[in-house]
Amino acid sequence: MAKISSEVALVAVIMAAAGAAQAQPGTYPRNGVYDQRPGVFAFTHATLFTDYKTQINDATLIIKDGKVVAAGPATKVKIPTGAVVQDVRGKFIYPGLVDVFTSYGVPEVKAAERQGRRVPPQFDTQKVGAYNWNQAIHPEVNAAEQFKVNNEQAGAYRALGFGAVLTQQADGIMRGTAALVSLNTNRKENEVMLLEKAASGLSFEKGSSTQDYPGSLMGSIALLRQTYLDAQWNQRNPRREQNLSLQALSQQKALPAIFQASDKLSALRADKVGDEAGQQYVIKGRGDEYQRLNDLKATGATFVLALNYPDAYNVEDVYDALRIPLEDLKHWELAPANAARLSQAGVPFVLTAADLKDKKKFLPNLRKAVQYGLSEQAALQALTETPARLLRAQDRIGALKPGMEANFVVCSARFLADDNVLLDNWVQGERYQLTTVPADYRGVYTLKIGEQPEGRFLIQGKPEAPELKIVPTAGDTIRGNMTVTSDMATVVFNPNDKQKGRGAKAAEPKKPDAAAGSVRLSGYYTQEGRVFQGDGLLADGTPVKWRAVRLEEASRAARRDSAKVMPLPVVGSVLFPFAAYGRAEMPSQQTTLIKNATVWTSEVAGKLENTDVLLVNGKISKIGKSLALPKGGRSIDGTGKHLSPGIIDEHSHIAVAGGVNEGTQAVTSEVRVSDVVDNEDVGIYRDLAGGVVAAQLLHGSANPIGGQSALVKMRWGATPEAMQIAGAPGFIKFALGENVKQSNWGEMNVLRFPQTRMGTEQVFMDAFTRAKEYEKEMAAYNKLSKSKQQKTEGPRRDLELDALVEIMNRQRFITCHSYVQSEINMLLGVADRMGFKVNTFTHILEGYKVADKMKAHGANASTFSDWWAYKNEVRDAIPYNAAIMTRAGLNVAINSDDAEMSRRLNQEAAKTVKYGGLTEEEALRLVTINPAKMLHLDGKMGSIKEGKDADVVLWTDNPLSIYARPEYTFVDGREMFSLTADAALRADIQKERQRIVQAMLTAKKGGAPTQSAPSKAQGLWHCDTLGQEKELAE
Amino acid sequence: MRISLTLALASTAFTAFAQVPTPALPQSKPMLITGATLHVGNGTVVPNATVAFDKGRLTYAGPAAGFTQDKAGYETIDAAGQQLYPGLIVPNTTMGLTEVESIRATVDEQEVGALNPNVRAIIAYNTDSDIMPTVRTNGVLLAQPTPRGGLLSGQSSVVQLDAWNWQDAVVRADEGQHLTWPQMIFRLNPNEDATALDRRQKARESQLRDLEQLFGEANAYRQLPAGRKENLRLASLAGIFDGSKTLYLHADYGKEIIESVRFARRMGAQKVAVVGARDAWMVLDFLKQNDVSVVVSRIHALPRRDADDYDQPYKLPAQLQAAGVRFCLDYQGDQETAGSRNLAFVAGTAAAFGLTKEQALTAVTLTTAQIMGIDKDYGTLEAGKSATLVLSQGDLLDMRTNAVSRAFIDGRSISLENKQTYLEKKFRSKYGL
Repeated sequence: MAKISSEVALVAVIMAAAGAAQAQPGTYPRNGVYDQRPGVFAFTHATLFTDYKTQINDATLIIKDGKVVAAGPATKVKIPTGAVVQDVRGKFIYPGLVDVFTSYGVPEVKAAERQGRRVPPQFDTQKVGAYNWNQAIHPEVNAAEQFKVNNEQAGAYRALGFGAVLTQQADGIMRGTAALVSLNTNRKENEVMLLEKAASGLSFEKGSSTQDYPGSLMGSIALLRQTYLDAQWNQRNPRREQNLSLQALSQQKALPAIFQASDKLSALRADKVGDEAGQQYVIKGRGDEYQRLNDLKATGATFVLALNYPDAYNVEDVYDALRIPLEDLKHWELAPANAARLSQAGVPFVLTAADLKDKKKFLPNLRKAVQYGLSEQAALQALTETPARLLRAQDRIGALKPGMEANFVVCSARFLADDNVLLDNWVQGERYQLTTVPADYRGVYTLKIGEQPEGRFLIQGKPEAPELKIVPTAGDTIRGNMTVTSDMATVVFNPNDKQKGRGAKAAEPKKPDAAAGSVRLSGYYTQEGRVFQGDGLLADGTPVKWRAVRLEEASRAARRDSAKVMPLPVVGSVLFPFAAYGRAEMPSQQTTLIKNATVWTSEVAGKLENTDVLLVNGKISKIGKSLALPKGGRSIDGTGKHLSPGIIDEHSHIAVAGGVNEGTQAVTSEVRVSDVVDNEDVGIYRDLAGGVVAAQLLHGSANPIGGQSALVKMRWGATPEAMQIAGAPGFIKFALGENVKQSNWGEMNVLRFPQTRMGTEQVFMDAFTRAKEYEKEMAAYNKLSKSKQQKTEGPRRDLELDALVEIMNRQRFITCHSYVQSEINMLLGVADRMGFKVNTFTHILEGYKVADKMKAHGANASTFSDWWAYKNEVRDAIPYNAAIMTRAGLNVAINSDDAEMSRRLNQEAAKTVKYGGLTEEEALRLVTINPAKMLHLDGKMGSIKEGKDADVVLWTDNPLSIYARPEYTFVDGREMFSLTADAALRADIQKERQRIVQAMLTAKKGGAPTQSAPSKAQGLWHCDTLGQEKELAE
Repeated sequence: MRISLTLALASTAFTAFAQVPTPALPQSKPMLITGATLHVGNGTVVPNATVAFDKGRLTYAGPAAGFTQDKAGYETIDAAGQQLYPGLIVPNTTMGLTEVESIRATVDEQEVGALNPNVRAIIAYNTDSDIMPTVRTNGVLLAQPTPRGGLLSGQSSVVQLDAWNWQDAVVRADEGQHLTWPQMIFRLNPNEDATALDRRQKARESQLRDLEQLFGEANAYRQLPAGRKENLRLASLAGIFDGSKTLYLHADYGKEIIESVRFARRMGAQKVAVVGARDAWMVLDFLKQNDVSVVVSRIHALPRRDADDYDQPYKLPAQLQAAGVRFCLDYQGDQETAGSRNLAFVAGTAAAFGLTKEQALTAVTLTTAQIMGIDKDYGTLEAGKSATLVLSQGDLLDMRTNAVSRAFIDGRSISLENKQTYLEKKFRSKYGL
C-alpha cells in the first residue's frame, strides 16, 4: 500500500510538457514569431533498450526533429554538434509503450438504455444518410475524423510510460476504423496522428444503437455474418445500392481487426465468425483467457489483455460468502497469472491499460503479472514490439532505431523494478517530465562530526523519502530526519534518542540540559567523491564541520539484503468448465461393465432382467448375461438396479448465452443457437444428475420463424463446439400462438407483424414464397459459367432464406412450438402447399385433438406431461395428451422447456402411465428413443443396443419411480455423473472455497481493497424469455 | 351408490361433465372401507385396516381385527390392495385466486400497495375454477388460499376443495397474516452503479421501519376501549398478538429467516411460521431453538446457487426432519395453481432424498394441519376426526403408482371427474381408442 501511494504522489508531480516549441504543422499559418528549434538531443551513458530484448550499457541515443537518429554503444555513436547533451548515467531508457485499446481523444458514446417491453419496437435505423440498415453496423465511422488532442487523457497514459495509442470509439457491432496517435499534446492533430486508419473495431454489443435487431448474442453474430456477405455482394454489384457502410467495410478489410469480446467464450465465438469472413481478429477479452488456454491458442489470434484484476470479496460473513460463485473466487486468485499463462503457452498477446477504472493501477498490476510468472522481457514485448507489429507500425514505434518516432521513457531503474520511477516520457522528441526524483542517496556512510569519534550514517527508506539512522557507536541507533533537495542536505537528530533494542523506552523524562537538544547539520553532496559535507551546530551551539563518506561495498550489500525475492504465488488449478463441479479434466472413456441390472433397452428387446452391459470406447459394446470384464476395465454391480438409455430432452434452453430469442423480427432463421452454446451452465451438470445425456437447445418462441437449434450432449467440461453432436442434422424453431403474436407482452408490443393467428399464416406463406424464388434465382446463377457469372449481377446471399431452402430440401428440420388445433392445422396446410414437412410439433398441448392429421403429415409430437392453465391457449391442455397421441400412432416425446423439470424427465414420462395408461416401457421411450427419433439421432442414440453410443443411466430404482435416483450417468462411455464422484466434487468445492476465503481474509488484513458479494443475475431462460436478462434463481 | 354414480356418468357424459362437477351431498349413511393399508398420517401404517365413518366423522380407523361392530348398515368399499391416506393439504397456494396466469382478469392474488393486512383471500376464492377438480383427483382435498405481494399481503384461509361457494368451502377463515420479508440480496441491472445498492438498502431500512411502526401501533390499538375510531388495518392485525392468527413470514435466505423471526418475536407475535425457507438448511439450529415451523417452498426447484448441491432442494425436508424442526411442504412457484396436483410428488421426492415415506406423508397432511391450526379435525385418520380421506390403487406419493379411486371430504364422496377427464373421453372416442 505504502508503495502504491507514494508512487501516486510521485506521478502527480509534473505532467506538463517541458514546454518546447509550440510547433505548428507546416500548412498552418503562424501567429507571432517563428520558433522552430533544432530539436537535437543526445542522451549519454544510458542503459538503453533499443527494443524489448536488446539492452546496451553505456549507450548513446540521438534524436532530432522528433525522430531517432542513432541509438547504440557510446563507442559507436557520435554526438552531433549542436545537440543538447543529457548525461543519464545510471538511468534506463525504454521505447515508449503502445496501447492498442483506448478511446483517447474521441468522444464517448453512451450505450442505449434497453427498456425491453416497456417501449414500442424500433424496426429501422435512426441514422440519417446512405448507410447500412442496422444502426449497430457503422464501419464508416473513422476515429481519425473525431479525434481531438486531450491533455488530461494523454497525461494519464504518458504517466504510465505510453507514447502512442490506438484510439477508437468503442461503440456498436461494427465500429469503424481506429487511428494510431502519439501522446504528444503540443502538436496539432495532423502531426500526432501516426496512422489515420490503423485498425478496425468490432464487438457483439449494440452499444448506442436503439434499433431492436439484434436483441440477442446470436443475433449479433448472425448480423456480422450477413454484413460480411452483404459487403462482398455490394462490392461485386456496386450499382445496386450506394451503401456507404458496406463500402467502408470492404475498404477496411485489409486492416487489422480488433474484436472486443466479453469473455473467453465470446472470444471463441468471435474467432469463428472472423474465420468464416476470412478475417483473423485480434481479440480483446476479459482477462479470463487462462481458463480456456488451449482452445484460445488454437484460434491463432493475438489477444489484448487488460490488467484489471478483481478485488477480493468481503468474506467475513459465512452466509454472504456462500453467495460468491466459486469461479469468481478462483478468478480473483488466478487473474494476475493470466498474462504469464498465455506467455508460457506461446499465445501472442499485447497488454492494455483498458478496463482499469484507476489507470494508476496499471504499473502495480503489471508488476503483479511479473510476480505471477510473466518475464519482464515478455511484458515489455507485449507493450512495445507486439502492438507495433500488430498495427504494422513496427517501423515507427515500439523500438528505438534510426528513423523511428522518438518515443521513449527514462526510468530510474529497470522498468519493472519495484523501486523504478518513470522520470521522463519523451513523445515525438518532446519531453514530458513525469516526476522529479532526487538522486538515490541510500546507502551506508561513515560519519565524522567535529572531533567526535567516527560513527555510521545509514540512509534507508525510499529515494524520494529517505529515512535516516545514525549509529554513533556500535549498538546505538538514533533516528534522525533528513531532507535532500538538489544535492543540498539538512540533517537533524537528537543524540539522546537512542533506540536500545526493542521495547526499551526512556525510563523517565530527562532533565532539560543544554546538551539534551538536537544536532543540526547542513551540507551538500558531491557525486564525484560520494560524500556529504558541510557545517553544523551541536545542541549546545558548538559549530562543527561534518562529513559522511559513502561506503560502496557496504551500500551494495545493504541494497541486496532489502531486495526481496517474491516466491511464485500459490494458486488453485483451472477447472473445466471453470465453475463449481468443474474438473481438472474430463472423465476418461474407461471400459466399464455394468453387471446384473434390469436393462430397459427402449428396443424391441424390451426390459431385460439380470443383464450385463459392456461399454467400450464410448460405445455399447455388448449386452448379455455373465459378460466377461475385459482387461483394464472396471465393473459396476447393477444388482437390484435399473439401467436405462440416457434421457434426451427434445426441448431445452439451458446452456445458451446471451438470450434465447431473437424475437425482434418475425423471421430470424439466420440466427443459430450453435453460435452461443454456454458450456459452463451448471444446468448441464444438474441435467446429468437427473440422467439427461443430450438435448436440443432451441431458440425461443417469440417469433414465427425463429433460429436454428444446437443439438448437444451433456459433455460437461468440453468446449461449446465439442458439446455439439457431430453429424447431427440441422434443426430450426418455428412458433405459433400467443408468444408469436405478442399477446402477453403488454400494451407497447402491438406493432410487429403478426398480431393474430391470421397474420401468422401469412408470415409463413411469405417466407417460403421468398425462399422458393431465392432458390430459383440462386440455382440459375450457379448454372452460369464462371465468366458469365462475372458479368451478371448475382443474387444477394441471404442467410435467412438459406435456412428456409434447407428446410424445403429436407436438410433442416422444424420443431414448431404450438398449442391450439387451429394453428396446427394451419401450419400443416402451409407445409403441404409450400412443399415442406413439419418434423416436430413441440408443446403441442392440443395434439390430442389433431393426432390423425399430424399422423397423416408424418409429424412427431413433443409435449409436456401435465402443464396447463398458465395462459389462454393452454386451457384445453390435458395430461392424457401424450398417451392419446401415442395410441393414435404418433411418435411422442416428453420435453422440459425448463432447467428444473429437465432433471426429472423420467418422472414426467411416468405420468403418462397414470394419465392415459401407457405401459411403463412405452413411458420410458417418451424420453429416450422417441426424442432420438424425432431428432434423427436414433441411429446412434436413444436406446441400449450394441454399437450405439454409451449414453446410459444406472438408477437406484425403477426409472419411472419418484424414488429412483441416477447413481451413474454415462455419456460417450464417460462417467459424467455418479453419486460418489458428486460427493467428491462437493468436498473439493468446500475445500477450495475455504482455501480462497482464507486467502481473501489475509489479503484484506494486508490492506487489499475488497468488494461485496456479487449481485450479478444468474438465471434461467424460458421459451418466452426476451432480451438478455435472465430470470433469477436466488 | 357406486352403481348409481357410474350410471350417472354414462348418461351425462360429454354434457354435464364439461362443467365443474356438482359438489357431493352430505354423507347419508355410514361407510366402511376394508382391506386397505392405512397410512394414518402420523407415521403409523396399518396393514389390512378398517376405517368407518358416519356423518362426516371417523368412527374407527385401525386394524381390521379391532373393528368389532356389526357391519350391517354400513356401505362397504372393499379396498383390498389399496392404500388409504388422509386428504392432502396444499398450504400457501394461489389456487382459487388465479385461473389463468397470463390473463389478468382471472388473477386475484395481489392487492395494490404494501400494507394490506385487512385484505382477505377467501373473498376471491373461486369454487367454480376448472383447476380444483384436477387437483383433488390426485389426492389434494384441502388448501390454504394465500394472498401475495407487497409486505403485508393479507390473510389466508383454509378451504376444502368441493364446495358451492367460498362460504361453503371455509374450513378455517382468516387464520393467518402473511408478511413478505423484504429481500436482503439486491440485484443490480448492468447499467446501475454501486449507489443503486445503497439506495435499495435505504429503501429496505425504511420498509422495516414502516413495519415496526405498524406492528407497534396495532398492538397498542387492540388495547383501546370500544368506541375507538375504527382502523381496518390495525384491527386486522390484532389476531397475531393474541395467538388467534398465525404470522407467516415469507423469507428464503438464511439471514432473512433469522431477521424476520426475530422481528416477529420482538413485535409480540404469538404464532410464527416461516414460508419459503429455501435456505433453511443454513439456520437449522436457529429454527429448532426458536420453535419455528416451516412451510417449505416447492422442492421441485433448482438449487439457489450454482455451487449448491444439486439435490439441496430435494433433501431440505430431510435436513429439517433430522434437526427436529416442524415443517410441511407447499407448491409455490411457477404454474402453482395448476401444478398443485403434484403436491404428493414433492413429498415423494422428499422421501427419495432422505425422509421415510410416512414422514413425507406427514409433511403434506398432519404437520400442515398443525401449522394451520386444523389438526383437531384434519391431517390424520383417527377416530373422531373428519372423514377426509383418499383411496389410491398404489403409493400416492409416486406418480408411477398414484391412482386415486375414491376420495371423501367430511364423509362426502366427491367426484373425481374434471374438465380434463371429459376432454380425454371426448377425443378418445374420436379416434375410437
